[in-house]
Amino acid sequence: MFLHIPTKEVKPYELSLNTSHGTSLLKLACLCLYRKKQRGAKMKEMGLLLLFFSVACGKVTGLGPPGKPTLTNCRSPEKETFTCWWKPGPDGGLPTTYALYYLKDNSETVYECPDYHTAGRNSCFFNKNETSVWVNYNITVVATNKMGRTFSDPVDVDVAYIVQPHTPENVTVNVMEDEGWPFLRVSWESPHKADIRSGWITLVYELRSKMEGEEEWEEHFPGQQKTFNIFSVRSGSSYLVQVRCRPDHGFWSEWSPTTKTKVPKFFLGRSLWILILVFSILVVLILAWIIYMNCHSLKHSILPPVPGPKIKGFDHQRLKNGSYKDGLGALMIPEYPPSSSSNDDDLLVEYLEVFVTGEQDISMEEGKEIQDHYCKSESSTCDSDSGHGSCDSHTLLIDKCKETSKDELNSNCEDASEIIELEISQNNQDEKTLSYDGRPDTCNGRVKTWPSVFTPLPQYTLSAIPQKSSLEIVKQHCLSDTLFPPGSMSSNLVNQNESFGPSYWEFSLNSKQLPQIHSQSSKHLQAYSDINISKKDNEITTLFKSTQYVEVKNVNNKDMVLLQPVESGSQSHAEGCPHVHQGKDYSKVKGVNSDKMLLLESGVNVMGQETATCFCDKSETNHKHPPMQTVLPVQEEQKPFAANGYVDTATMFSVPM
Amino acid sequence: MHRRTVVQRGAWAVLLWPFLFTKCIPLDCQDCPSISQEKLLDRVIQHAELIYRVSEESCTLFEEMFVPFPLRLQRNQAGYACITKALPIPSSKSEIQQISDQWLLQSVLLLVQSWIEPLVYLQTTLDRYDDAPELLLNKTKWLSGKLLSLEQGVLVLITKVLNEGMVSTSYTEQAIFQYDMQLDMLESIIKDYTLFNCFKKDAHKIETFLKLLKCRQTDKYNCA
Repeated sequence: MFLHIPTKEVKPYELSLNTSHGTSLLKLACLCLYRKKQRGAKMKEMGLLLLFFSVACGKVTGLGPPGKPTLTNCRSPEKETFTCWWKPGPDGGLPTTYALYYLKDNSETVYECPDYHTAGRNSCFFNKNETSVWVNYNITVVATNKMGRTFSDPVDVDVAYIVQPHTPENVTVNVMEDEGWPFLRVSWESPHKADIRSGWITLVYELRSKMEGEEEWEEHFPGQQKTFNIFSVRSGSSYLVQVRCRPDHGFWSEWSPTTKTKVPKFFLGRSLWILILVFSILVVLILAWIIYMNCHSLKHSILPPVPGPKIKGFDHQRLKNGSYKDGLGALMIPEYPPSSSSNDDDLLVEYLEVFVTGEQDISMEEGKEIQDHYCKSESSTCDSDSGHGSCDSHTLLIDKCKETSKDELNSNCEDASEIIELEISQNNQDEKTLSYDGRPDTCNGRVKTWPSVFTPLPQYTLSAIPQKSSLEIVKQHCLSDTLFPPGSMSSNLVNQNESFGPSYWEFSLNSKQLPQIHSQSSKHLQAYSDINISKKDNEITTLFKSTQYVEVKNVNNKDMVLLQPVESGSQSHAEGCPHVHQGKDYSKVKGVNSDKMLLLESGVNVMGQETATCFCDKSETNHKHPPMQTVLPVQEEQKPFAANGYVDTATMFSVPM
Repeated sequence: MHRRTVVQRGAWAVLLWPFLFTKCIPLDCQDCPSISQEKLLDRVIQHAELIYRVSEESCTLFEEMFVPFPLRLQRNQAGYACITKALPIPSSKSEIQQISDQWLLQSVLLLVQSWIEPLVYLQTTLDRYDDAPELLLNKTKWLSGKLLSLEQGVLVLITKVLNEGMVSTSYTEQAIFQYDMQLDMLESIIKDYTLFNCFKKDAHKIETFLKLLKCRQTDKYNCA
């Protein structure tokens, strides 16, 4: 209730008002009194109001019996003594005394509190002698003043159930290490007054901890122990720990003062170091393995290899071996083509030595030694390799000038040391072509062919070049020019306008390379080549001023012997036969007869064909196919074949082609 | 009335005759494996602790279930004092320090023996209530069983510790528990509530006495 009292006319009353009720009463009474006074009320009403006023004021001023005290709590710290506190009621304005009385266990005797002072104000302390456990105390507090006395509500207390011990003491926290990992060991002592040793009281403890800065505590229950380990501890942070206790039936004590401890940093355990070590070793191993795998490429990137000299067609390997007589010897074919003395001959003996390597293939290889003999001796018309000495006599018509200058070297020529395998498949009984490239190439000087005249030359024996028994070399010997007049030769030519006799193609192979040749079966291949010398006599003469050689490049996969004419540069130029070799002077291989004789036919005109590119591959069965000038089919024909490998050219010519 | 009480007593005697034997016959066992005194004392203390805990739970259960709020704080109602009140049992630590070990054990035995019967009674009265929880019934049954075990243990302990024979208890001196079935519900509840409270208190007494005894046995001179 709120009353608005004008401030001018109301006198302030100094009152000690305890209750709002009293305040409102007072205000109401004063107001009424004032108004009544103003209005001039009657005396009777005034008296009543005064009485009311006095009563209200009397209440406010506390003149009366004391208010009712209340017992707040009773506590025993060790179950041997206990203390009770009360809260005094409103004071009656008069000095009030308080007394505590108790009854024990429903007995009628009333006892008073023995000690009012030990535990402080408004308290009662019961010492050991007066404390009985398991006894029901009925306690009442009485407030007394002049006006009267007031009793509080009685409270039943059993000491056994009001035990609240003191806080645990000497809480210590130590940082310890367990196999490298830190943990906290918390230890404490029971409150010094609690008699745990005798078993009079049994305490259980509770512990809580938190990291400094956290909000929530982590609680642990050690039970009746006095030590505890906290393992979830982080290095470098500080921790706060508190402990409290409680009897098995009673109240929890207060938390002990906070104990702070710090865990040192970098408390790395041994196991962690081992882990780090193993991991780093693993990383190092992986890196080493990667480097090892890419060793080569790394080496190339860091230390690029020095490029070596590379001249196409230049066999620096032979240079190293010192097989050249002089530095320029590598560029020269010393004995090839044949000497100019044979240029005068109309007929050139051409040799075609073919190594037959068994059933499947005939591979002819030339090694370095072939090179030695053939690639270089371009100028000589003599096939030094033939070893027959017949090269000097050239009766054949076709001269092939060989140019073994460096310029003539084909760009396609590969390493001169490579071995060319000439394969003639024997399986195919059909036409076998013997093809050759018209381009002379010293580096490819696998085979030199000389046009040879088919003449029975008993003095020429087949040379057993192959070291292996399975291989035989059929060799056509160079026929002396003198032996066969051109005219007679021409009569035997099957082809038209052939003034030359059959010529022998001689594939001369380096015998030393024979081991490398497939040795499957011994076959003989006789190659007969009809050399188309020339249609014109004059050309013949000019043609054959220089010996022209045909060398077998290789045998392609179509069972064709690839031949190429080998040019002799200087002679050809001098004698005007640079173009002769370009096509006119070659023999066409008709085929391989049943006796595995290479039949060459003459008269194939390959005018206008330029020099074929020289290829020096040593492919066996799979040839790269440079453009071939001519493909000379190797036809099989019945050819008389001497037991000793001799070729009867006469009979050859008799066979129609 | 007198005849009726005689009949009741006879009925009780018949019911409890095994206990009479157990009180009179010493527990001698020639072939039984013996147990050390310390271990026995430990086991007895464990029993007492367990009994106290379960009695506390039972009392709380009963209070929540049956006792109305105004009556809960007043544990000792007029007229229903604890049955063991008359027993000469020390009630303060200073008193306990003055009595001997033998007397301590005897006090324990007295307490245990005086509560066997009321617990049986409690089981029967709980059946009378309509909605007594199963848990309370089980606990009460468990309590009475455990109390019997405890009694046997204490008897053996007395024999070991005191090297004395069976001490005849003043069992007959105690008034037989008043078994009155003609109480109304409220009174019955108050009575049972008082019983639960008193038993809880006495269980705590037993536990404390035994622990004090243990200290005396192990370390005589440092016990307070």
